[in-house]
Amino acid sequence: MTLARAYLRAMWDAKLVLAFTLLLSLTMFILAPLLMIGLRSVGKGWFGRLWLPPQLTLDWYRWAIEVGNIPEVMKNTLIIGGIAVAVSTAIGIFAGWAFGRRQLPGKEVLMAIVLLPRMIPPITYGLGVAKIFYTLQLVDTYLGVAMAHVSVCAPYAILVLSATFEGLDERVLEAAGVCGANTIKRFFYVVLPLIMPGILASMIFSFTNSYNEFTLTLLTYGPHTVTLPVRTYLAVGDGYWEITSAMAMLMVVPSLVILALIQRRAKPEKLVGGFKGV
Amino acid sequence: MTDAMIEFRDVSKRYGSLLANDHLSLTIRRGELMTLLGPSGCGKTTALRCLTGYVRPDEGRVFIDGTDITDLPTHQRELGMVFQNFALFPHMTVHDNVGFPLMIRNLGKAEKDERVTQALRLVRLEGYGDHYPRQLSGGQQQRVGLARALVYRPKVLLLDEPLSNLDAKLREEMRFEIKEVVTRLGITAVYVTHDQGEALALSDRVAIMNRGRLEQVGTPEEIYEHPQSRFVAEFIGLSNFLEGHVQSTDRDTMVVSIGGVQVGAPALPNAGPGQRVLLFLRPNEVELLRPDVPGGTNVFEARVEKATYLGDTIDYRLTFGQGLALRVQTDAQRRFGQGTEVRIRLPRIRCWAITSG
Repeated sequence: MTLARAYLRAMWDAKLVLAFTLLLSLTMFILAPLLMIGLRSVGKGWFGRLWLPPQLTLDWYRWAIEVGNIPEVMKNTLIIGGIAVAVSTAIGIFAGWAFGRRQLPGKEVLMAIVLLPRMIPPITYGLGVAKIFYTLQLVDTYLGVAMAHVSVCAPYAILVLSATFEGLDERVLEAAGVCGANTIKRFFYVVLPLIMPGILASMIFSFTNSYNEFTLTLLTYGPHTVTLPVRTYLAVGDGYWEITSAMAMLMVVPSLVILALIQRRAKPEKLVGGFKGV
Repeated sequence: MTDAMIEFRDVSKRYGSLLANDHLSLTIRRGELMTLLGPSGCGKTTALRCLTGYVRPDEGRVFIDGTDITDLPTHQRELGMVFQNFALFPHMTVHDNVGFPLMIRNLGKAEKDERVTQALRLVRLEGYGDHYPRQLSGGQQQRVGLARALVYRPKVLLLDEPLSNLDAKLREEMRFEIKEVVTRLGITAVYVTHDQGEALALSDRVAIMNRGRLEQVGTPEEIYEHPQSRFVAEFIGLSNFLEGHVQSTDRDTMVVSIGGVQVGAPALPNAGPGQRVLLFLRPNEVELLRPDVPGGTNVFEARVEKATYLGDTIDYRLTFGQGLALRVQTDAQRRFGQGTEVRIRLPRIRCWAITSG
């Protein structure tokens, strides 16, 4: 009896060990490159076959910020991101209203068209965008790069806000009308507060998309509109691995901040669904 | 008519091939609680939405207090409405929900607070002002809905199946609560429901609708005791239907011949001998007698085919005459077993007849 129990116990322990091993492997698989770059960005005199850098330093960060002109690049990135967020959320609100609340003929087809920029390989799409932007002289302008980003941000905004508007309870809007609110008051006092979670989600999605967008930026940027991903990529060409690593680590920071904000402020899954079922 | 508060004048609304309202004409008096009753799809909700303005009638006009409101936008109609799914504003506290109509009307804060407090007291929800709707039970949420509808003293209160999302016990309680509040305020109210029990318990008058048309309008007593059509009799409670023809008439009574028996019933105006009629008899109005009771008018021999025990009553399926079926419900005091020969008495004044065919 005790033997059987001990045997079972051992099996149980083995299962735990196995589970943890797998989990750890998965974590390592995902985190190893990041860890690698992270170590590289603070290591000094790290040559040969050493497992860990012999000396730690923050010099590379200073270099990255000064040589890579990071403040300027960060400014570009944020301005372009800001424009992209504003435009795609505005598009998302109107399109989302239409998709979520109206009986549109051919709704599925329209939605497919909206999602098309995400389905076409970015390089294919970006080449076309670049061609048009050169003609319109939109290349190397904040607006131009931001508009290119909108093509990938807007589909997310539309998707999220369509779902939000669909979740709006028609009866609640009717109730506001019966209570005496006209269309404008209904929108500001009832609709807007109720879709706020959706708008926030759409803004976060749009911003992270714009912030991380590489291919489209590469095809539309110029000396005045270098963004963080492009700057990092250019630094790779310069051959300074340490500085590039520092830049790459710097890029991660805003993403982490946003993640922390989402985690603390709201449940992401709740943001998407709006107030369905309340 | 000076006492008309709401008037539907020849209102029609068509959805594709479905005629939701078919030349509906109905007058609701000032201070009256009128129930629109009918099965789903009968057009009662469409009629209500013609009042709120969320449905524009294809034909006809709608009047409130003498004003033609057919083309008036919803927010100018000065209505109060209680919704089936409560339709409270989930992002506002109870206080703000109830105060919403006042806020829209730019009332001063002091007066607004005063009236919100009053309205919450009216529905016995004092002290819940800071709660959010999701923190309340269904019954409480619906009371908030009622307070919100009444807070700005609208001319008309509309109630769209307000109790059907509540559980049975609460429904019964809320019934009386709504009735009491509406009576106390003396407000004109339109109540839409498919529950005949609710309609009978609450209403001053009931309008029964079927396929977009009015079947009958009357007080709960009139509707229950003197239905004007088979549909109404079937919809309001259980009823036996006996088809026959008039054999003879004698001032205020007539004799109807049904499947080999002669039943005395109150006379119908302009129904001479030979006229086909339909007799209604509620199952609880038939008297069940022992077989040795002497016969008389409207007393017939019958046979118990099936007896079902229902707790407070027993439900009998009887046959009498030439294969006539009759459903009878009596209290559970005296019981007759299956296959027993009995006598039944059909009280003459309870035999309600309408002409048919």
